[in-house]
Amino acid sequence: MNAPVSSFTPGTLVETSAASVSAAMPCTRLSLRARGDLAPFEAALGLSLGGHIGSRSSSDALEAMRLGPDEWILHSRSGDVADVVAAMSALYDSHPHSLVDVSGREVTLVIKGERAAELLTLGCPRDIDTIPPGAGRRTAFDGVTVVLWRDGETSFRMDVWNTFAPHVYDLLAIGSRELAAESH
Amino acid sequence: MSQYRVSGRGRVDTSRPVTFTFDGKRYTGGRGDTVASALLANGVHLMGRSFKYHRPRGAVAAGSEEPNALIGTRRGAGRFEPNTRATVQEIWEGLETSSQNKYPSLKFDVGAVNDAAYMLFSAGFYYKTFMWPKSFWDKVYEPFIRAAAGLGVSPTEEDPDHYASRYLHCDVLIVGAGPTGLAAARAAAVDGLKVVVVDENPEAGGTLLSEPQAEISGRPAWDWLAAEVAELEALGVTIMTRTTAIGYYHQNMIGLVQKLTDHLPKLPDDTPRERMWRVRAGQVVLAQGALEKPLVFHGNDRPGVMLAGSAQTFLNRYGVLVGKSPVVLTSHDSAWYAAFDLADAGAKVQAIVDTREGVREELQAEARKRNIPVKLSHTGTATSGRLRVSSLRVNPVSGGTVGAGTEIKCDALLMSGGWTPSLHLFSHTKGSLAWDDDRNTFLPEKTPEDCVIAGASRGLWGIEAALKDGAEKGREIVAALGKTGAEVSYSVANDRPGTGVSHKELPTDRSPGKAKAFVDYQNDVTAKDLRLAVREGMRSIEHVKRYTTNGMATDQGKMSNINGLNIAADALGKAPPQVGLTTFRPPYTPTSFGAFAGYHRGAHFEVTRKTQIDPWAEENGAVFEPVGQWRRAWYFPKAGESMDDAVRRECAATRESVGIFDASTLGKIEVVGPDAVEFMNRMYTNPWTKLGIGRCRYGLLLGDDGYIRDDGVIGRMGQDLFHVTTTTGGAARVLNMMEDYLQTEWPDLNVWLTSTTEQWSTVALNGPNAAKLLAPLVEGVELTEETFPHMSCVECTVAGMPARLFRVSFTGEIGFEVNVPAPMGRKLWETLWEAGQQYGITAYGTETMHVLRAEKGYIIVGQDTDGTVTPFDAGMGWAVGKKKPDFVGKRGLARPDLVAEGRKQLVGLLTEDNSKLEEGAQIVFDPNQPVPMKMVGHVTSSYDVGTSGRPIALALVESGQSRMGEIVHIPMPDRTIAAKITSTIFVDPENARLKI
Repeated sequence: MNAPVSSFTPGTLVETSAASVSAAMPCTRLSLRARGDLAPFEAALGLSLGGHIGSRSSSDALEAMRLGPDEWILHSRSGDVADVVAAMSALYDSHPHSLVDVSGREVTLVIKGERAAELLTLGCPRDIDTIPPGAGRRTAFDGVTVVLWRDGETSFRMDVWNTFAPHVYDLLAIGSRELAAESH
Repeated sequence: MSQYRVSGRGRVDTSRPVTFTFDGKRYTGGRGDTVASALLANGVHLMGRSFKYHRPRGAVAAGSEEPNALIGTRRGAGRFEPNTRATVQEIWEGLETSSQNKYPSLKFDVGAVNDAAYMLFSAGFYYKTFMWPKSFWDKVYEPFIRAAAGLGVSPTEEDPDHYASRYLHCDVLIVGAGPTGLAAARAAAVDGLKVVVVDENPEAGGTLLSEPQAEISGRPAWDWLAAEVAELEALGVTIMTRTTAIGYYHQNMIGLVQKLTDHLPKLPDDTPRERMWRVRAGQVVLAQGALEKPLVFHGNDRPGVMLAGSAQTFLNRYGVLVGKSPVVLTSHDSAWYAAFDLADAGAKVQAIVDTREGVREELQAEARKRNIPVKLSHTGTATSGRLRVSSLRVNPVSGGTVGAGTEIKCDALLMSGGWTPSLHLFSHTKGSLAWDDDRNTFLPEKTPEDCVIAGASRGLWGIEAALKDGAEKGREIVAALGKTGAEVSYSVANDRPGTGVSHKELPTDRSPGKAKAFVDYQNDVTAKDLRLAVREGMRSIEHVKRYTTNGMATDQGKMSNINGLNIAADALGKAPPQVGLTTFRPPYTPTSFGAFAGYHRGAHFEVTRKTQIDPWAEENGAVFEPVGQWRRAWYFPKAGESMDDAVRRECAATRESVGIFDASTLGKIEVVGPDAVEFMNRMYTNPWTKLGIGRCRYGLLLGDDGYIRDDGVIGRMGQDLFHVTTTTGGAARVLNMMEDYLQTEWPDLNVWLTSTTEQWSTVALNGPNAAKLLAPLVEGVELTEETFPHMSCVECTVAGMPARLFRVSFTGEIGFEVNVPAPMGRKLWETLWEAGQQYGITAYGTETMHVLRAEKGYIIVGQDTDGTVTPFDAGMGWAVGKKKPDFVGKRGLARPDLVAEGRKQLVGLLTEDNSKLEEGAQIVFDPNQPVPMKMVGHVTSSYDVGTSGRPIALALVESGQSRMGEIVHIPMPDRTIAAKITSTIFVDPENARLKI
């Protein structure tokens, strides 16, 4: 199944006794690239950027995950982030960086349920157990690059580029039914 | 109860009868039976015909190594599988099975004429027979070989089952749930280690299932087994049955195939038939045990001739006597125990014939106790019986001389040529093997993986030895993981230690040249085939293998490799280790294509990327074409229109008024940073320093070899901000190449790249009315020639949406590309569509885009270039910044062969007879030269549906740019077409149409 992206309206897409998959509400997504002294960026963003790759931090307005030595993805948590963007923009001359709005680029699937972590093993070569709750990873699912946020033991979010999302969702739906059919 | 079922023996529940069919006849077995055990319980040994000679065959083994008893299984429409091993397939109520390789029936098969004509089918038969005459190859030989090749019949219907896959990470993976594997698991089940044990059988136990007489630590083997399995599971060990480790790959990646439904009478919903597990294990224990070898002698393949260990398994695990008056022929102690078990179960064992002079007195005493005649220092020289063995001919051997033969009547022949450690997975690791002279076999030596091999698979014998070794190796790998393994000691009573010798083919008093002494049952390779191969010059075991096909069947030589090696080494007069062993390759046992494909079939076969506008195209009747992973609207036919009709209409409408095109698939990269312009100067051939903000430029990207790799229009949105576009197919590749240079060559540059391909939906408007249509919808810029000339870009608002607007043209008409955040794409498209109705707006697809650009001589990278075309070859020297100190490909472009005369250059072609050329057609200068002609180029693009009023083509032609007006020739199968070399621009060379 490769349904067009526009079929993803926020809400539950599939739910079984094993796991549910739903489409998250849209949010502002910013790709940040920066190096050197991170303090001015942390001040402008109101959150810390310095943790290990895969670590996360948040403010009232934003949450961030470090994806690489000089790369972070930021999601808005509520409301407008224009102030933050303006503050970063003001920093540019003294602290060059790249802050690119990628809100339109991807969607987020929310995967929850008793066997959510197991569901991810259908497509993710990485050991899910090594991602602690509150952290995340850029990884692959069924050959597609995704960013995985582990919010709890049985609760995940997965950012997927629009045109890959139907393929990824399709396997998650097959898998949640497959896992539910297993007698445990 | 069936004739050969022994009451009180085995693990099959005969109180729960299961009915199945074999070749249409109904048979009853019990719950827990395989097809083979149930047929044997009914006295049926004949289960198939051999591959080459169509000889009648029965099960020779009891497990997955079975080479003969291959059957077809069916479960309703679409669910037919050939080549299933009858010794593995569990029966269920209603299972339909059939024999293979027979016509018209299993008992009377005309193909068996091959057997009588066996002299014709010697080693290298295919190479010799089908050599001449050459003209026979296509019509006679190849069809014959194809018809004869392969076992079983391929399924013809689509497989309705689904297949699954998962990744699994564990600290310890143990392959084999016999005594070795279980003891290793026990040692490793400590301190939170994640331990997984896999076994191909339906239940754990391995050898223990066939040796219930053993007592482990004071408990009967089966009681111990049940308790141990329960305890391991309580300790958190995962035991996966019906799961075969098929291959061992780099860095402890092991492939497992788990069979989930083949044993079930009813298929549960949402349950895959098989699941491929990709396991990444910290440490691996290989405990696959050993496989019994046949003895090689004339007639060793008749139904009823079986490995002694397998007969013991059929009795002890399945409660089936394979014969009531069996005879035993052996070179190993283990077969003596099989004889004792069968005798104790009521069989009248006719004799134990052992090739050795001396055998442990204890065994001989046990034989005497049971009144079993014993013949030591004897060989087997023949069997008789058409569809079932009825006698064995044995001869005394003394000082190398074979004496006179005597016949021993029997209804089954149990043979043992000793045991071969199962080294398959160990070999997959590139593990080295060492020849062991005592056991006459290879043993595992070193492996580069984090892996140990234990128990019988490293040559140990007996249950106690296996348990102790498993425990020891288990602790060893736990120590390697930095923990301390559990200390468990084992003692075993009624164990069956033993030794044996290994043979080449058994000595005979008859002509060895006429002996049908099989080494490889599945490929019908005999000992004399191997000797013939050596006589005909094969020296390496790899050559012997390929010449004879020994070990090349689906069983991967599990039974034949060591026997084959012993015989080849003898023929060569060398020691076996000097001849070597062929490589074991994955998979360990035959594996379904479904298991490899997993979820990737049907609609989920591969990612299909669709733009936000794709649903509109679908609703409006577009025909699609795949472009990389994308599917793109190819053309939009109206009712009754052919593709040519539609494209001609779309082209004309765009040139006459306005066309709308979904360009969202174009790759897009946001280049940001103080060094953005320097980066652009270094990456692209063009100069960027002087490009003003709000202006665009066509950029050309080369590889460091100087050849064109990609192109696209690039807009400077700000001092430090470039909006780069790439080709649809090149998006990921170009970003990777740029990142590669940034990270490895120019880490000093302060610039960052972000993929924005999917951030934007891009709609292109082209045609004389494009500006008129768009202008009323745009806020922030006036669309006039003065304020927004060709090759401008700006951030603005279009139809109320935030947009990046480009004035560019890939058609030669006034053109705009409107980028809006991706989810708004369809709304933008529909707004423009509505607004365009007054101009008769026409949606066009990729084909029209291709035609319109070709009319203007705009290249498509990958169509008009092929990785050997420089900017100068393509007539685009103007895009190369001559004054730039460097850019990727600059030095490549200076290579002597890239500046030499006579390179193929891009030109236009107009045919003299106004016919359309074929893309890819070869070009010659002189059509009258002798064949083979010198080809001087080829047609890269060709269309006859455009607006220039005649067919046009682009071509790469040797020195084409200096041959303007010359005639070249394109030889086709039916005629030769003459064409004139022209400029690549066929429409509006003055670019007058670009002006608003």
